[in-house]
Amino acid sequence: MKSLNALASAVAAAAFVASTAPLSADVLFWSTQARPVEEAQAMREQVLSGFEGGVDYQPNEDGPWLTRLNAELEAGSGSIDVLGALHGNFSAMNPDALTDLGDLGVASSSETFNGLAKLGTETLQYVPWMQASYIMAASKEALEYLPEGADINALTYDQLIAWAKNVHDETGDAKFGFPAGPKGLKHRFFQGYLYPSYTNGVVRTFASDEAVVAWEKFRELWQHTNPASTNFSFMQEQLLNGDAWIVFDHTSRLAQAFNERPDDFVAFPAPAGPTGRGFMPVLAGLAIPSTAPDPEAAKALVAYMLKPETQIATLRATNFFPVVNVDLPDDLPPSVKASGAAVAKMSASPDANPGLLPAGLGDKGGDFNRVFVDSFERIILGGQDIRRVLDDQKGRLAAIMEETGAPCWAPDAPSDGACPVE
Amino acid sequence: MSDTAVLLPDQGQTRKTGRWLYAASVTLLCAWVIVPLYFLLINTLSAPETVNSFPKSFVPEFDLGSLTFFAGFQGMLTALKNSIVVAFLTMVMSILIGAPAGYALSRFEFRGKEAFRLLILLTRAFPLPLLALPLAVMFIRTGLDDTAFGLALVHTTLAIPFAVLITFSLFSGIPVELEEAAWTLGCTRLTAFTKVVLPLILPGITASAIFAFVISWNEVFAAAVLTIENRTLTAFLLQTLGEAPLHLKFAGGFILVVPALIFIFAVRKYLFAMWGIANR
Repeated sequence: MKSLNALASAVAAAAFVASTAPLSADVLFWSTQARPVEEAQAMREQVLSGFEGGVDYQPNEDGPWLTRLNAELEAGSGSIDVLGALHGNFSAMNPDALTDLGDLGVASSSETFNGLAKLGTETLQYVPWMQASYIMAASKEALEYLPEGADINALTYDQLIAWAKNVHDETGDAKFGFPAGPKGLKHRFFQGYLYPSYTNGVVRTFASDEAVVAWEKFRELWQHTNPASTNFSFMQEQLLNGDAWIVFDHTSRLAQAFNERPDDFVAFPAPAGPTGRGFMPVLAGLAIPSTAPDPEAAKALVAYMLKPETQIATLRATNFFPVVNVDLPDDLPPSVKASGAAVAKMSASPDANPGLLPAGLGDKGGDFNRVFVDSFERIILGGQDIRRVLDDQKGRLAAIMEETGAPCWAPDAPSDGACPVE
Repeated sequence: MSDTAVLLPDQGQTRKTGRWLYAASVTLLCAWVIVPLYFLLINTLSAPETVNSFPKSFVPEFDLGSLTFFAGFQGMLTALKNSIVVAFLTMVMSILIGAPAGYALSRFEFRGKEAFRLLILLTRAFPLPLLALPLAVMFIRTGLDDTAFGLALVHTTLAIPFAVLITFSLFSGIPVELEEAAWTLGCTRLTAFTKVVLPLILPGITASAIFAFVISWNEVFAAAVLTIENRTLTAFLLQTLGEAPLHLKFAGGFILVVPALIFIFAVRKYLFAMWGIANR
């Protein structure tokens, strides 16, 4: 018993010593990105080790990340210096909680991103940090069927349809590939590409006349789409086995094709419609909470993260692309080179019209996606009347928006309160 | 004599079946625990390609790649130390608070006793993600934030219902006459407790200490929110394992499991002793 008591007090004493040990002066980087162990390790060893002040990089799941941040804001003092998260995380926050970064002198090279990062205020609330996206890719065999006068880096939807039709007519096979399988990311195509390109909105314009045109165009494209697309989920597989020549998918779901046979495929920007080149950037940003203990060091770290060298190191560590103009080195994996160039062209194109990932839906995100998937299945696969289907689905979409109270996100015009379906 | 002679073969048969059944259940129970751990070990010691391939080999190939990765992982040892410190503090505090409560519940009649027992369980009724925000705000304001002691307080709150309920049943299992006899022989209430009751329930206390240890060791959310520099191993590692490649998941899981196994192995003596009491 004595020894047990002694042990207990020894442990208690040790704990107090440990708990009162002086805190290190490292800048605390509180992030929801680069979470997998290997990426976190690469961030620490290859990206952040070059920062002079020393960085404590702590990746977290969204729940603890937000809870801790809110606690510090509410308590009025904290230990987090720099926040790293997706645009959706920041847009759900009160801009007052973030230090204005407009005077920092760093920003992304894309005005679109900088505009988003203002979160509806006059000045940068976070600094764009890195990006990923969904792009198009094609087998080089398909290039000879490009319609006359079409620039692969500035296609329109009409040209894409003509291209897919040419291939279909000449080879006898429908070679456009679309990830409409059970695990495919088809809903992102509608939310971030088709709708922004035709209606300049997603929620407000869901059942508009422009939306009907968009679905008619997609129906046209579907005539030249490999009918087995309803089984495709990772388009790299169909590129590699030749089932599809022209495809749309997330950069990471195309990587294998480029890495295995880099000389056989090209990556290029998504096409443009009447209201611009809709695309869905997955945008991560860096911010400084108003409670940061060392704002100067935090600003230095944000500036360091935006340096071209750091951006390239980040690309290697996380497979997320730079948001500033950089000359990519030659020794990057082929997939990074190909899709990086395509993403850069897409976000820098003059008619770029980013459609953001849905934000503020909480656990209703799945239901929101369902609305688009169901519309796709009824209109394209079931051949039902477009107007009727959209009017039907409109009610469900409105219910989701009202229940979550999620405000509009780009390209929909901002709203007071829940985003209305017009 | 003749009776037994007739019965013997039958009895022998029954006993044989019984023994066979006994052996089979023991094997099954052991396999239940050991096989997953063994697979964890094999996969930890395998190269990534082997981990992703099928069928699995039963012999580890002693590829230390995955473990070496974690050996170079910044802050692992500090996190391990923090986990141990927090777990021990939780153990000590939950026993110091829980055992007297268990004693009081089993020995004294007081108003609201039933309500009190229910209330103790209620501390487990609120999910931590709900409590974490106000707790963190309070901790930051009081300076308990980011300390092993502060986190141990939270874990103690989680462990106390178990400590109280276990010690309550232990105390109830010890006849009050034993204490009364000690009183008549010159003991005060306190010395009767320390000299007579405590030695009897020490194994049981160890068991509830193990509960406290495991609860603290496994807790992620509070640890992730309430500690920054002094992260525990689970907060440090578990969050980053969810999206990691399979071979690193295995190695990380292995690293999380081993210290807890060593601890339980070290105190197994007391645990078995408690089962002895329960049988009596």
